[in-house]
Amino acid sequence: MFSIAALSLIWSTGWSAPVDFARDVHPILLERCAGCHKGDRALNTRAELLKVVVPGKAGESLLIARVSGKLPPQMPMGGRPLSAGEIDTLRRWIDEGAVWNSAQPVTGKRPPLALRKPESEGIDSILQAPGNVVADEVFVRRAYLDLWGLLPSPEQRSAFLKHNSRPKLIEALLANRQNYAENWISFWNDLLHNDEGVTYIGDRKSITPWLLNALKDNMPYDDFVRELLNPRGKDAPDGFLTGVNWRGDVNASQTPLMQAAQNSAQVFLGVNLKCNSCHDSFISYWKLKEAYGLASFFSKEPLEIYRCDIATGQKSKPSFLYPELGSIDENAPLEDREWAVAQFFTKPENGRFARTYVNRIWKRLFGWGIVEPIDDMDATPYNRDLLDWLSWDFVEHGYDTQYLLKQIMSSRAYQLPVGGEKPAPVARRLEPEEFVDAISSITGEWLVKESSKAEPGSYSRDWRLKANPLTRALGRPMRDLAVTERQRDISTLQTLELVNGQTLTSMLHLGALRMMGKPESVPDNLFDSGIIRSNKVSVDIDVTGSDELRLLLVDSGSYDTAKVAAGWMRAEFLGPNGAVQLPTNGTVTPKPPQPKLPPQPPDAPPVYTPPIKGTPVDAITARVPSELVYDIRGKGYTRFRAEVVADESSTTSDISPQFRAFIFNRAPNIRQLVRVEGERPQPLPPVLTGRDAIITRVYEHALGRDPSDAERKIAREFLQNGVDGLEDLLWAILMSAEFQYIS
Amino acid sequence: MSVEQELFRGLGRREFMRGTLGGALAALTCGAARLVAAPAIPAKADTLILLFMAGGMAQTETFDPKRKTAFAPGLRGNEVLSTFDTIDTSVDNIKISEGLERIAKIMDRATLVRSHRVGDLGAILHTKHQYHWHTGYTPPQPLAVPHMGAMIAKSLGPRMPDVPPFINIGQNLELGAESDAVKAFHTAGFLGTEFGPFLVDDPADATARVRPPAGFSGERFARRYEAYKKLQASNPVLKYGSSFQQDSLMKSVESAHRLLASPAAKAFDLSLEPQKSFDVYNTGKFGLGCLLARRLAEAGARFIEVSSEYIPFRFWDTHENGHTRAMAMKQSVDRPVSQLILDLEERGMLDRTLVVMASEFGRDFMTEGKPGKEVKQQVTQPDVITLPQHYGMHRHFTEAGSVVMFGGGMKKGFLYGKTADERPCKIVENPVTIDDLHATIYTALGIAPDTEYEVEKRPFYVTKDGKGKAVTELFA
Repeated sequence: MFSIAALSLIWSTGWSAPVDFARDVHPILLERCAGCHKGDRALNTRAELLKVVVPGKAGESLLIARVSGKLPPQMPMGGRPLSAGEIDTLRRWIDEGAVWNSAQPVTGKRPPLALRKPESEGIDSILQAPGNVVADEVFVRRAYLDLWGLLPSPEQRSAFLKHNSRPKLIEALLANRQNYAENWISFWNDLLHNDEGVTYIGDRKSITPWLLNALKDNMPYDDFVRELLNPRGKDAPDGFLTGVNWRGDVNASQTPLMQAAQNSAQVFLGVNLKCNSCHDSFISYWKLKEAYGLASFFSKEPLEIYRCDIATGQKSKPSFLYPELGSIDENAPLEDREWAVAQFFTKPENGRFARTYVNRIWKRLFGWGIVEPIDDMDATPYNRDLLDWLSWDFVEHGYDTQYLLKQIMSSRAYQLPVGGEKPAPVARRLEPEEFVDAISSITGEWLVKESSKAEPGSYSRDWRLKANPLTRALGRPMRDLAVTERQRDISTLQTLELVNGQTLTSMLHLGALRMMGKPESVPDNLFDSGIIRSNKVSVDIDVTGSDELRLLLVDSGSYDTAKVAAGWMRAEFLGPNGAVQLPTNGTVTPKPPQPKLPPQPPDAPPVYTPPIKGTPVDAITARVPSELVYDIRGKGYTRFRAEVVADESSTTSDISPQFRAFIFNRAPNIRQLVRVEGERPQPLPPVLTGRDAIITRVYEHALGRDPSDAERKIAREFLQNGVDGLEDLLWAILMSAEFQYIS
Repeated sequence: MSVEQELFRGLGRREFMRGTLGGALAALTCGAARLVAAPAIPAKADTLILLFMAGGMAQTETFDPKRKTAFAPGLRGNEVLSTFDTIDTSVDNIKISEGLERIAKIMDRATLVRSHRVGDLGAILHTKHQYHWHTGYTPPQPLAVPHMGAMIAKSLGPRMPDVPPFINIGQNLELGAESDAVKAFHTAGFLGTEFGPFLVDDPADATARVRPPAGFSGERFARRYEAYKKLQASNPVLKYGSSFQQDSLMKSVESAHRLLASPAAKAFDLSLEPQKSFDVYNTGKFGLGCLLARRLAEAGARFIEVSSEYIPFRFWDTHENGHTRAMAMKQSVDRPVSQLILDLEERGMLDRTLVVMASEFGRDFMTEGKPGKEVKQQVTQPDVITLPQHYGMHRHFTEAGSVVMFGGGMKKGFLYGKTADERPCKIVENPVTIDDLHATIYTALGIAPDTEYEVEKRPFYVTKDGKGKAVTELFA
């Protein structure tokens, strides 16, 4: 009896947890007070609040007297009074000691949304920056890197220095859409969390082909974003809205729809919805229902709102972050809602859309944003007229990115020497992709992009390949979330990779060999199976005139390579006297097709069926890796036929065979077994003889200048050691700030 | 102005750097972190060695044995709790599974937690649980979340200047279908690349990581560095004054060279270990990883993880032949782990070195997930088994796992937490979540579990929401 009475006593007095300042009090102050309480009336910090609050004594606090109406004028002045619940929260907070646990002052300003045309026009007339622009030698390197992500070759450099028209150079660089697109795609891969081939065993869809084409076509920026937010058609970029997903359950704030809301708001509007995807934000004016409101544009069904991952029972309606830009009926079908939200983001009335993008581009070219942080477009710009004019002009010219780049790069401000007072650019570090591509273009030794299929590879710039230890160390980000800014700091771990890492060492070795006219020989294969798993691959090739035949099996990602057993079955040559079978040394049992199960309900446990065993076939057994060599000199063979397959015992999940079969008629280059076809991204450098010629070329290409006499002397000493010496000279130049920074 | 003078200005004198963006603002804008609060607590340990049994170590086959059911055709899966006999240890009330005889002898130095409960993350994905175990947060996250090693490296710094504070041994980041996911949590995230993992894929060849590049003689390597310095000194662009970026870069190159030449680099060379000792550890990659960890701890490492390597369906991730493979795994860990503890003890290091042996979840014959909250099945085997390949703990059990802790201020010969003796083997006493386990580990190292960073204006605590509570009963 007593205990029940005690319980009901607790219920009636409404015992609850202590008031949490950040969660309970801050939102009230922000929304109901901060609009007027600015300047010397501000109530942003604890010190300021202590003018109206007596900790522990709500009854004596001026704040309570005002909001309760006990002491006129009632607060908020001229506005709707606080609710009883809100007043009670403030009262309890004060009685509990007015504990302040937020590091942030309360701010509530919202800059105007519309585009604005300032009175001054033009970057230089707005900025009025003093000083002279950089010399042509400096400009050419900067322009090539900023537009193409490539160093100018000595030929390109001297062509420019001859005619020295900067506007013409910018035009020409922009006009080469291939080089331009292959540079800027990395900028967009970061922002759109796109990383070809990277998966977390969950939904993720690449948008690379669409993205590359959009850049090549210089797609207007508003069309570009509309396609991302409202993807329609076969090759549409729905990967952006799909998000980055891991198999299994996900926190309510990170579902694909919530990711879509957060990423589109952050990337396209400089609005951070991450905080208010779980609860009303403590650091800005955004509310939980606004994040859901945006997500609802992308959702088939009405969304249930979760607060701190707990269902609230409330459903969300589609509502745009800036309702003045438009609204839509909640019952509208999904395709209408996606169309609508794409309009709201990109219409000219949404000046913030243009300003956010213009700011990102400015940051990319100058190393600092007109607004910083670039993801918080509420912050005060360094120069409001500059941002507003650039955005106005950009929209006037049809959201043309290349036009915007040309405007900025043609300005005096962009061409100022780095390191000076603003608006001069700061020295920016080469991106990892630029670092790798620089080595490729200086040496002529390019990376090769291979596929898992039986098709040739192609010479490629770094962006197409997945990150490797070198590019990761230099700051190529993991795009498991949208990345708007890379970490470009120097660190010991990074430098260790540059000092003794395998990736860079190999690149320089192969590059030096090529520069000295001794590139490794890379024989073409006669056959490439593509990746073999448990399938069988047939071979039938012309071997006329071959003196030998080499049959290779190479690993391509087996889980347990040592346990992979494979075989070449029915291997035979066709010669003038008919077929000649190769002697076998064992058997291999191909895994037969397994019976298809009847359709199962989605959550049913997998049904165990004992596997159907195959039949052994006589074969030449082979492990992975292996190389079988046959001397067929003078035999007159014209064809070789065989079938390659993994033994069924290898096809278990813990072995998971993945290997590739190649056939050569001479010793292969193990490093490059896949045939490579096509043009290199940049023309091969000339093969030079003589140390001085090589030194001059390396300095010209890497640094854009001649070496000093002292440098030349030291460089000659390097080159006393042949190929090693050239590798080491290249390394020494790569490890200078002059190379690694864009000045 | 000459081109050289312009290029020099281009590189930015220090004064200009401070006036314009400089490091600090750039750091804030890059989503880098600002330390807000680090309550001081006394440290019981200076070094953490994490022995990670990747793939899901079957707890009833190792440290939490139950009634054994021998294999016989016609066996019903739900009758099988353990497939091994139980053995005594040097602690009266603790019995573990056969195959761990040497670890059994040193259980009197251990705290054994049998009630480690991991998160409920839906359909099982190893790397998702590994991400959770190593960072305290579950993916996807809206921030680049740091690995525990990075957090420790940042909070405490290196113990010795030339030893990277965060070292990761044994996990190949490029192999296997889940390699991208493995890479996702091997990062210092918003703490900055300085605190990222120094990776040693193969401990037998660990010196490759601290040697001159492959193909270089020591002489060439030294010559290259000298010539590099001479070349930089002759750079006409820099004759107008030093450059901030050039200074930073050269300092960094110097640190790298110093590390490679330091006595600490010798710690990476397992060939310097006396043969007898080497042979005890040498059960394979993991065993040698334990030896390398000991040598690195002696040289002054701060955080070392030795992973038993995660490749789907291999090693501890037994989807078939669980019994035979669990025995093989036990054999690969028994000698090296026990020797590691004995060696640390002999060197007087055990009290200040915390060694933690853990896994991303446990295993069970029947249940995938937690009892009552099962998830999508991923193992196909009949309910009544006739083949040895189906005999073993093949499913992923997220309800309970075992964690063994040695040294670093933990109790000795202590058992904490209990699971049921009959199926389902739920935790019946003292569950320890990942947050609390982390809080315990961080507390042992002198890092408060509510240590707070500010990233993108939001708080980020070393345990989730700062709510991890150290299990104080585990401390001596």
